[in-house]
Amino acid sequence: MTLPVLLFMASAAILILLLAWAVRPPRRSLTTEEALGALSEDRHYARMPQILQSLREDDTEFMRSRGQSELLGHVRAERRRIAVRYLTYLLDEYRMLVECSRAMAKLAPELSAKREYEHLKDYLRFVLICRSLQCRIVCGLEPWESFGTLSDMAGTMTLRLESAAARIGESALQAPTSLANQGSGDAE
Amino acid sequence: MVEPLYLRDLAWAVAALLQVIVLFFIFRQKLLRAHPAFSGYILATFLQSFLVGWVGRHWGVQSIQYFDIAWGMQAVVICARWLAVMEIARQILADYTGIWRLASSILFVLCLAVLIYALALAQYRWTLMVLSADRAVELSIALFVVGMLIFARYYRLGMTDLERQLAIGFALFSCSWVVSNSLFESSRNPSNAWWDFFQIVAFLATLIIWANALRKPMYRASREALAELPPEKLAQLSLQANTRLRELNDRLNHLLHSKDSRT
Repeated sequence: MTLPVLLFMASAAILILLLAWAVRPPRRSLTTEEALGALSEDRHYARMPQILQSLREDDTEFMRSRGQSELLGHVRAERRRIAVRYLTYLLDEYRMLVECSRAMAKLAPELSAKREYEHLKDYLRFVLICRSLQCRIVCGLEPWESFGTLSDMAGTMTLRLESAAARIGESALQAPTSLANQGSGDAE
Repeated sequence: MVEPLYLRDLAWAVAALLQVIVLFFIFRQKLLRAHPAFSGYILATFLQSFLVGWVGRHWGVQSIQYFDIAWGMQAVVICARWLAVMEIARQILADYTGIWRLASSILFVLCLAVLIYALALAQYRWTLMVLSADRAVELSIALFVVGMLIFARYYRLGMTDLERQLAIGFALFSCSWVVSNSLFESSRNPSNAWWDFFQIVAFLATLIIWANALRKPMYRASREALAELPPEKLAQLSLQANTRLRELNDRLNHLLHSKDSRT
């Protein structure tokens, strides 16, 4: 069997695998009301300063000076456990933002391939950083830099959603008749 | 051992029967208006089966007339398949203007690239030229269908079970053509009968998927009504979202400031 034939067979096999993944029914999409409701809730990343503070060694160092080494170990382990859970919530929150961005994309008369690609890339990066951060915390390594990256990424996503929502509003106000017929707005 | 020729004839007869059944379901479910291209495709394949069978008996399968008519009909059927695939894509994606524009342009470029890739990889033996072109087109159809389904999944777009099953059938059928054409090309002593048999079996499997999907009563999927919101409501919701997001962003800026002050 020649190389081109093998390449064709491999292409067909890859397409069949992708097909198997793509035809699974998708998770239920957020409705507009649900998306807005989810956006108005308190964000977990608003608690990030407290989590970061709780992970600082100097925050619990006074226990050692008071001879409470055992308690210190307990408190630090407990704080690490909470930080790991916090990261899971943060990931869920980012996923929700991504869902909102997809719900907004359904309204958009124009989508930029580059931006959509960036969304996907950012999402994968966020998942990767969250997981690696969880590993770092479990192993007792300092997570400061990665936390900052996550915070930046969540902020970028929020800004994108904000500009998308603003453009949806502008389009809706400027061209009400055409919007009623063909859907309106502008998302990322 | 059963001769492939007999098996092929048997499979051919069963395929013709299934085509009639699929056409019957299309009429019974009144899908002619909703799926004109798909109905046309099934009709084209039905006519192809009979015409090619008749020509084969009349002039013989080795005759030049058979070659011309068989491949001519194949070109017609492939065009009909493209139209049917486009019809499904439009039904799934076209309600969402932005997604439809993005998906159609990306898929068009990808299909073109795959077409060029497949033709570039093909062996330039004149006897295999038609086969190579056919395989290239089939690969791009499969890619188009799979890409369309990936877009639908990524953006959580709703689709009816019928649309999903039709798309699965088209993708699997095109992939099986790519495989069978490649096997035929690589074979040192290719047997037309086995090759035909493999393709008819793939077509049979596809027809069974479609007949099964068409057999069930049709439920019009309730497409998410995001794009059908009245403009006033849409404006109100988006302004609301904007305000809420701005609040979130302010909070985030505050957070970043507080983080900076700590580090």
